[in-house]
Amino acid sequence: MKPPPAHALVNRVILLTLCALMLGGSLGLGAVWMRQEISQAANESRTLQVKIADVERRLDEVNAQVASAVNPHALLRQNEAMRLALAAPREPQVVRVGESPELRLAAKRNREVFSVSAASFELSDNRASVFPLVTASLR
Amino acid sequence: MSKGFASNRLTLLAVGVLVCFMAVGVRLVFLHVVDRDELLGYVDKARRQIVVEHARRGAILDAKGNLLATSRSEITLAVDPWALVDYLEADKNLERRARKADDERAKRAQLAAILGVTVAEIETAFTPRMRSVPLESDRRDGTRDGQIKDRWLKLREGLDEPTYDRIAALNIRGITSNRIYRRVYPGATLAANVIGYLNREGTSVTGVERHFDLYLKGEDGWIESEKDGTRRELAQFRSREVPARDGHDVVLTIDSVVQHIIEDELRTIAENYNPNFATIIATEARTGRILGMGSYPSFDLNNYNTAPLASQRNYAVTDIIEPGSTFKIVAAGAALDQGIVSPASSFDCGNPVINYKGRDLKLPKEDHPFGMLTVSEIVSHSSNRGAAQLAMLMGGERFHEYARRFGFGAATKFQLGGEVRGILDEPSRWDGLTITRMPMGHAVAATPLQIHMAMSVVANGGARMRPQIIQEIRDASGQVVRTFEPEKVEQVIKPSTAALLAQMLHGVVGPDGTGKGFDIPGFEIAAKTGTTQKIVDGRYVTNRHVGSFVGFFPASRPEIVLSVIVDDAQVPNGKNYGRAVAAPAFKHVAEQLIQYLDIKPVTPFTRNLVAMQGGAL
Repeated sequence: MKPPPAHALVNRVILLTLCALMLGGSLGLGAVWMRQEISQAANESRTLQVKIADVERRLDEVNAQVASAVNPHALLRQNEAMRLALAAPREPQVVRVGESPELRLAAKRNREVFSVSAASFELSDNRASVFPLVTASLR
Repeated sequence: MSKGFASNRLTLLAVGVLVCFMAVGVRLVFLHVVDRDELLGYVDKARRQIVVEHARRGAILDAKGNLLATSRSEITLAVDPWALVDYLEADKNLERRARKADDERAKRAQLAAILGVTVAEIETAFTPRMRSVPLESDRRDGTRDGQIKDRWLKLREGLDEPTYDRIAALNIRGITSNRIYRRVYPGATLAANVIGYLNREGTSVTGVERHFDLYLKGEDGWIESEKDGTRRELAQFRSREVPARDGHDVVLTIDSVVQHIIEDELRTIAENYNPNFATIIATEARTGRILGMGSYPSFDLNNYNTAPLASQRNYAVTDIIEPGSTFKIVAAGAALDQGIVSPASSFDCGNPVINYKGRDLKLPKEDHPFGMLTVSEIVSHSSNRGAAQLAMLMGGERFHEYARRFGFGAATKFQLGGEVRGILDEPSRWDGLTITRMPMGHAVAATPLQIHMAMSVVANGGARMRPQIIQEIRDASGQVVRTFEPEKVEQVIKPSTAALLAQMLHGVVGPDGTGKGFDIPGFEIAAKTGTTQKIVDGRYVTNRHVGSFVGFFPASRPEIVLSVIVDDAQVPNGKNYGRAVAAPAFKHVAEQLIQYLDIKPVTPFTRNLVAMQGGAL
């Protein structure tokens, strides 16, 4: 068998070397790209952290302002400045309701509804005119 | 072109490329192996940084979630005048430089308007100046003449964020800023003596700020990373990161509105009587939770540095007074609890001398002459001699034991500390007259809180509770990490005795009581007046008193325990008695609390229902 010519071997070595360089270069570029992505993600993450901290700081600022504005002393000052004359009720002004206020209101409402419908039925035989009255009172 | 020539060229090219790579490789070996330590040291010095992330201090909230103390960022604004000079000199075009200077001048005029100062003041701040430094430390600007450029001049501190945003939007050359967190107290004077404060160095000084500092302060974090040439962090090179843990929020049992009602009343007391000090305490009868605790004098937490130390004390726990007639609940409660007497048992309170253990003892004077009084009348009329006889009936040892059980002579374990124990001597140290004087509240000293908690024993079916001012601890996300439950210290008297005593104390505001006229119809005020002569130079004086009115309501269904104590009120006629200086404040505060806390009046029906359930009659 005849051995391959020497320059063919050299060519193959060169080709392999170039391939290896290309592979190495590609890996290097890939690594650089990856690092770049990591840097970008890290910086974006840091920016978001700074933004969150900023929002929290502003939230604290607003909370402090709200608390200052709604403390009892400030509200009383506002009451005076705006001449609202708001005052806490005194015991003689208070009427204590012993029964359930919900049931009481419901009973009152029912009484009104039935009295309106009864009165309407007595006044007119036309049921159509009664209907809006009853529905209006239920609204 | 021959094949051999092409082959030679390729070989040469390949060799050339290989040589280049080898050169790069060798350089890398030098950089990464041979000179590694030296270069890394340089990089570390120039680029590595450790950034401390400060934890945000937790807030202090009231029981309804209102902010009592929080942290707010503030900005200190400063000027580097040389930065403007450098910026202008960098532009070689004179016309453009002048235009830039005009623009900057216009911005500075806007800055002056925002800060509310004159343009001249701002221009003065922006004038470049040199600063003298020791010659050996003059290494900044190349020439060693003891003069360096002054690159920092404070323009304003304590700027809020919105104002700073407006300034930052102007983008003025030479403006620098530094952000710090400062403690703010939105209520200003509200519960100042309880909350305490953080000084400018960030050290917690008193109150909740100090005693719950461990929960409030949080833990600082840190980041180890690198920075670039412009000192900006290179986040991708973060090597270690310990996140900051924000402080916990502390929730108090105090209700801002109740506290405000109390402090408003204290202001009225101060205006009318100019006392040495005054304190009002309101607690829930069943739990011992403090709804409000106010002291006069007080101070503005946001301006603590201008407040005298005397106004920063929480007088409810730091000072002791003789309890006076309010202490008579001990004698009456103990005698009833022992079953020695009944409410109808009568005593001769007109006799000035009584024989005790074979000795004739002189009984204390009465404000009004009395004859025969029942136990109920001894309480309602506040008879000194009657109280002395009750104590003598059970003996010094047992009387002392009951006084101790009511909480006198020992700290109440108030959660904010700073309290004193008071004075309650052992019977072995008593002199011959102590058994006659102590039942009326002399020869014993207690803090206002101790007196208050003793009264709450009667309101709480005979059980003494630990005063509670902290409700819970929440983490930064709002989750509850620790709760504080009501804590019963001991059962002092039987519930039936407490119920009897409560009705007797209701008699104090009855037609013949010392607190006549201070009842609130339907709400059964049960209270005890107290007036103690002050000791000046070791002697009791007749024109200076500690006036008190301590009680609870409604008597048959106690909900609120309230104490008003006024020390050394200045009253024109000298009658600074508890009835005169403390009882009106008690009634006024009670009326407001009834409305705010929606306390229902006691009807005959509910009174009978409570009686059937074993409560008061």
